[in-house]
Amino acid sequence: MSAAAQPWGSALPHRAPDARPDGIRPLRVVDAPARRRRPRRAFGVIAVVGAFVIAGAQMALSILTTQGAYEVAALTQQQRDLTYQSQILYDEVAGLSSPQYLAANASALGMVIGDAPSYLRLSDGAFLGAGEMAGGSASIDAATRGSVPNALITGTPLFTDPDATIAEAPVLDAVMGADGTVSDTPPPITDGLPTPSTH
Amino acid sequence: MTTRTTRSPRRRTVVALAVVLAVLAGFIVRLVDIQIVNADEHVADSIENALGGSQTLYGARGEIVDEQGDTLAGSILLYDCQLDPLLITQIDTQILDGTSSRRPWIEVSDDVAEITGQDVAAVRAIVADALAENPHSRFAYLERRVTTEQYRALADLAMPYIVCVPHPARAYPDGAVAGNLIGFVGSDGTALEGYELSANSCLAPTEGSRTFQRGKDGVLIPGTEKVQAAEDGGTLALTIDRDLQWYLQQLIGEQVQDMGAQRGGILVVETKTGKIRAAAEYPSVDPNDPLASELDDRGNWIFRGTFEPGSTFKALTAATVVDAGGQNTESTVVASSQETFANGARVRDAFAHPAYAYTLTGVLIDSSNAGISKFSEKVDAQTRYDYFQRFGIGEGSAVSFYGEEQGVLRPSDQWDNQTLYNTSFGQGLTTTMPELAGAYAAIANDGVRMPLSLVESCTAADGTVTTPDLPEPERVISEDSASQVRAMLENVFLQASYSPQVAIPGYRVAGKTGTGEKVDPVTGGYKSGVYYTSMVGFAPAEDPEYLVVVTLDEPTKVTSSAANATAFQKAMTQVLKTYRVMPSTTSPEVLPKFG
Repeated sequence: MSAAAQPWGSALPHRAPDARPDGIRPLRVVDAPARRRRPRRAFGVIAVVGAFVIAGAQMALSILTTQGAYEVAALTQQQRDLTYQSQILYDEVAGLSSPQYLAANASALGMVIGDAPSYLRLSDGAFLGAGEMAGGSASIDAATRGSVPNALITGTPLFTDPDATIAEAPVLDAVMGADGTVSDTPPPITDGLPTPSTH
Repeated sequence: MTTRTTRSPRRRTVVALAVVLAVLAGFIVRLVDIQIVNADEHVADSIENALGGSQTLYGARGEIVDEQGDTLAGSILLYDCQLDPLLITQIDTQILDGTSSRRPWIEVSDDVAEITGQDVAAVRAIVADALAENPHSRFAYLERRVTTEQYRALADLAMPYIVCVPHPARAYPDGAVAGNLIGFVGSDGTALEGYELSANSCLAPTEGSRTFQRGKDGVLIPGTEKVQAAEDGGTLALTIDRDLQWYLQQLIGEQVQDMGAQRGGILVVETKTGKIRAAAEYPSVDPNDPLASELDDRGNWIFRGTFEPGSTFKALTAATVVDAGGQNTESTVVASSQETFANGARVRDAFAHPAYAYTLTGVLIDSSNAGISKFSEKVDAQTRYDYFQRFGIGEGSAVSFYGEEQGVLRPSDQWDNQTLYNTSFGQGLTTTMPELAGAYAAIANDGVRMPLSLVESCTAADGTVTTPDLPEPERVISEDSASQVRAMLENVFLQASYSPQVAIPGYRVAGKTGTGEKVDPVTGGYKSGVYYTSMVGFAPAEDPEYLVVVTLDEPTKVTSSAANATAFQKAMTQVLKTYRVMPSTTSPEVLPKFG
């Protein structure tokens, strides 16, 4: 069986060297050159498959990246919409945290700013301060004489009195006496006992 | 041995290789040229000619916050919306031809007017006027500075001829609270007043840019985006407390109205640190709407107004003679209500009285001009000048507020015979509220004058904190002298006629009033019957923590400094409550008025 007939053979045809004791190689006619080894089909298949795999992988990667770009675009759009929403909300609540609004709301509830404070020291129970009772009137009139304007909330209704704004003073029921003290006569009950509205 | 036949293919290989290498080298050179040498040019070309785009990125202007970190000035976005009148007519024509199914402008303008709050006729007139002027007009402002909500509503109309451009703007959530300090920016974003202007380098953002390329469907091509991020402006923290600032602005507003005054101001200083906790004035400005205030009211009057102080300077003269003239709280002079001095100067008191043997305390309690003039002779004029200067009179303050004024204190060798005595009770010189506050704060702070400050720090976007450079604290009078002057000032508030009005139950308070004459710019003399009244004091007197100055310009209902008493008492009460200063547990030492 010749090497040519053995396509999956593994070696060149083995030729034992003609060794002579005198070390002189005799001249002889050269054989026809050995036929080149045929490349094995496996390498070819591997190369072709490899090329397809690489191309496929690249395409898949490219698709993924492009898909990512669309996702990024969608998320960017979403982010933009949310930014608009947060801006709209910021505009809506701007000014509601201002001291003017807080004070106007508090006085709509009938709250007053007290005078000099007194303190009870917990460590020894000592009473510090003059201990005078707070008067019935506030030291400033934030409700009807607001002198610190705020253009952001001029027309915003008060939380505690939706009919009033900081610019237009809420009308307090006349619980206070003329001298600023709390009246002895309670206001008449018309709609039954007042109950707090709870959630 | 090589033969011709073996040489020939080898040469061919070498030649082929050389050719391939040469071509490759050519490509490499060109590649380097395109990708590295002229890269910028090609990138610019690609952006200009191809589907590229670029965008300026705007950073947000920094916030101004108060001591607690509450926002006094913040950044928002408004939008300038514009119309394309030509496109409107083109679309309307298409609608008439039946080639467009959009809604006609006559309908859309109704919606637009409803969104922007404009009159429908006005909206239509914008387009009509633009076309009348130029039939090919492609630009007309619909409305400037619309809110995000309005802008989104306009965008939802999906009309190609409405375009809105974002416009960074400022919002001041607390309105006029600290408006005279913060200042404001113009509609074009230029800082115009107050800290918006003077701290612009802290607040201003740095612009960035973004370049990119898009596919046909408008989606960004991956890997083509280059972003140079914008840098937001820094946060400027002030030393003021906004709730206290609001209360005092409301208070001084009521007081100015009640007293029929032209203006009024309240300044609160933490004596141990020199930090200004409130600087309230009336009339004030709402930075959201500066045009609503008169031009004169849009600035700052506390830092830019100078006035002749009057009697508040008697305490500075008293401090001088105690510290350098060997006097004490019970040293006496004999003074009647009208005194003529050896150099011919004549000094009169505000009320008639016989010759009293006044103690230095008594001189301050009765605010005797004649008495303090006599005491002023215990030291020479130069010493008095030096002490005024060390108290910071005529120097302005370390705040260096934008456009801050300084009082005028002439050198003592320029004092004439009358001015020599007049300066001892605060005439013949001018000062400012911060100078007066700084001087009294030195007395309150054991004789050491702390530099006043209004800015806590500037925090840059990267977190770097910069604090303002302030001069070193300066000792003006000795600790003992300061303690004696404090005792006298406490007795002023205990024994003066207005004592009940300034008393704060539970606390020991010390202070002094001042009634300054006002120069009539027409005649050059003093105005008759109107004054610049002031009251300055600190509490608790035994260990002062806060100092309050209240001034009124030309009160008419009560023309004397008693006009300030109510406002001072309420202001000091609120300050003590805000900072939880504990009531006094000791009693004041009552000093004799007469010797």
